[in-house]
Amino acid sequence: MIAATFALLLSLPLLVWVAAMFDRIGAGRGRVVMAPLQNGAALLLRPNTETEAPDQLNRLLAPGWYLALALVGLSVVPFAPGVVASDIATGLVLWGACEALTVVVVFLHGWSPNSPLPLIGAYRYVAIGLPAMLLSMFVLIGAALPAQSLSVAEVVEAQRDLWNVVRQPLGLPLFMALGLAITLRGPFDFAEGAELAGGASAEESGPALAAWRFARAAMLVAFSAMAATAFLGGYLGPVLPGPAWLLLKTLAVMAAAVAAGRFFARMPPARMLTFLWVVLLPLSFANLALVGVEALP
Amino acid sequence: MTLATVLIVAAALIGIGLYGALSQQSFVMLMMGLELMLNGAILGVMGFWAFALGGAPEGQLLAIIVMAVMAVEMAVGFALVVAVYRKRQADMTESLTTMRH
Amino acid sequence: MIDALFLTLSALAIWSGWRVFRVDSMVRASFLLMVSFIAVGLIAVLLAAPYIGIATIFMMAVEMMVMALFMVMFMMNPAGLNPMVMVHQHRFAVVAGIVAFAGLTAAALLSDLPSRPVPESAEVVRALGHELLGPSMLIFETAGVTLLATMIGAVVLSARSGRYGDSDAGSVPPGLTPGGEPAGRKPDDGRGRPHHHGGQ
Repeated sequence: MIAATFALLLSLPLLVWVAAMFDRIGAGRGRVVMAPLQNGAALLLRPNTETEAPDQLNRLLAPGWYLALALVGLSVVPFAPGVVASDIATGLVLWGACEALTVVVVFLHGWSPNSPLPLIGAYRYVAIGLPAMLLSMFVLIGAALPAQSLSVAEVVEAQRDLWNVVRQPLGLPLFMALGLAITLRGPFDFAEGAELAGGASAEESGPALAAWRFARAAMLVAFSAMAATAFLGGYLGPVLPGPAWLLLKTLAVMAAAVAAGRFFARMPPARMLTFLWVVLLPLSFANLALVGVEALP
Repeated sequence: MTLATVLIVAAALIGIGLYGALSQQSFVMLMMGLELMLNGAILGVMGFWAFALGGAPEGQLLAIIVMAVMAVEMAVGFALVVAVYRKRQADMTESLTTMRH
Repeated sequence: MIDALFLTLSALAIWSGWRVFRVDSMVRASFLLMVSFIAVGLIAVLLAAPYIGIATIFMMAVEMMVMALFMVMFMMNPAGLNPMVMVHQHRFAVVAGIVAFAGLTAAALLSDLPSRPVPESAEVVRALGHELLGPSMLIFETAGVTLLATMIGAVVLSARSGRYGDSDAGSVPPGLTPGGEPAGRKPDDGRGRPHHHGGQ
């Protein structure tokens, strides 16, 4: 358990670096390997911007909370049979709580500078983020159903015969919607859109922005690991050791998330809201019904 | 951590919540008082479940019901706030001196 | 260890619960309430109820987020820059709160509390699941139907188009003084819908 925690803390910065590289490849920019480090270092040297009468505490802590949620979410992912940082019986619920609190943290991040553009970004993000989170919970219940357990380790073990992505084909695509929403990218990036000059992060610069971007990439890592575990069989796989499989699958989901973020266009918030409630949410119910029928003996 | 200490904490939450529910003028703040009282209620239920029920699952069920009550309270509360705001363009309890418009 | 954690979390729950009614911004108030809920959820985890505890955190994060949204929508002072004391019958409320606390504490201390702790080996989550979909299914389903009824009721209550025409027809803001001139925006098209989005 302690070894798993250390492994997680050590590998996270590297994976965040890889996530930043993927983002650069997705954006079609060069100097893929070194540029994320250089940009991060440059941000650390710049001063923070001040705004008028901000909520100092929450402004300072929002990136830290985002990172903490990513870490807690990642901690329920088992690396190998029995090797997991936080071994609780209700891992999927804990992950769900992290999702819900992520929406809160992004709202705080936009609200605390006391400035119009960040507040608009945060406000409309909440409207989109809550239904996205809701549908992910139904999808995760679907993943828990064959395992008959809310423990993530059991969910992996239940996929020994057949991965959930085959058994419940709607699950992973719907879960990706959540991933895009909680990592603020692509079609669900209503918080930090360019049309709001950066939205929730419009007033940030310097170390605060660097910390926020780091936390955002860490959340992408956490989400990818969770998606790989819940739908792609986690550490299961032939020949290679378990952690290697988990790493490969995590990287694959990460690449898919970055690609989806670049590929799909963003809709106006009102239309996206209708799409989420009227199309995606019923789809997640359909997925759940499908899984239920399948699980009947 | 004994049942008595848990119940005292729950009592404190209920007391603060009652204060809020009685003293706040804004509907939404008033609802926060109610939520805080229900928070104390959940804590009390969980305390009794953990220390006095011997792990009978009905105690947890009761906590889930309290959560459902919270959700109902919030949904109906916000719907009423919206309805009142439509009528009076205000969200203060004092603006509702009569049930008619 | 568990006692120290319990004391810290209890102090956090009570302190943040108290601050809810003392801070200036309603957004801060709703998130302080969320902190109080999270502390109670963690106490429930300490009490060997992992599902209820974490589900409380999950539910309350969502609920308080919605609450903060409504706060920003309705409050007169969204940023919380001005002092905000909006209370009535303050002394009565303080006394009622203290009496409730004292009464409940006395009840907890004076009554003979039973002692039957959760057995170490109990599978509480599994037991809860079997209870929900077994003996107590009717109760659980009733809660579900109640929530459905609530949803319908909330939509009906908050919809603009009512049974007898628009629900905001003839809406007038309250007077600044009792019985005085309506405050705020004057309805300009006789329907009372404020035009604050450029005539939308």
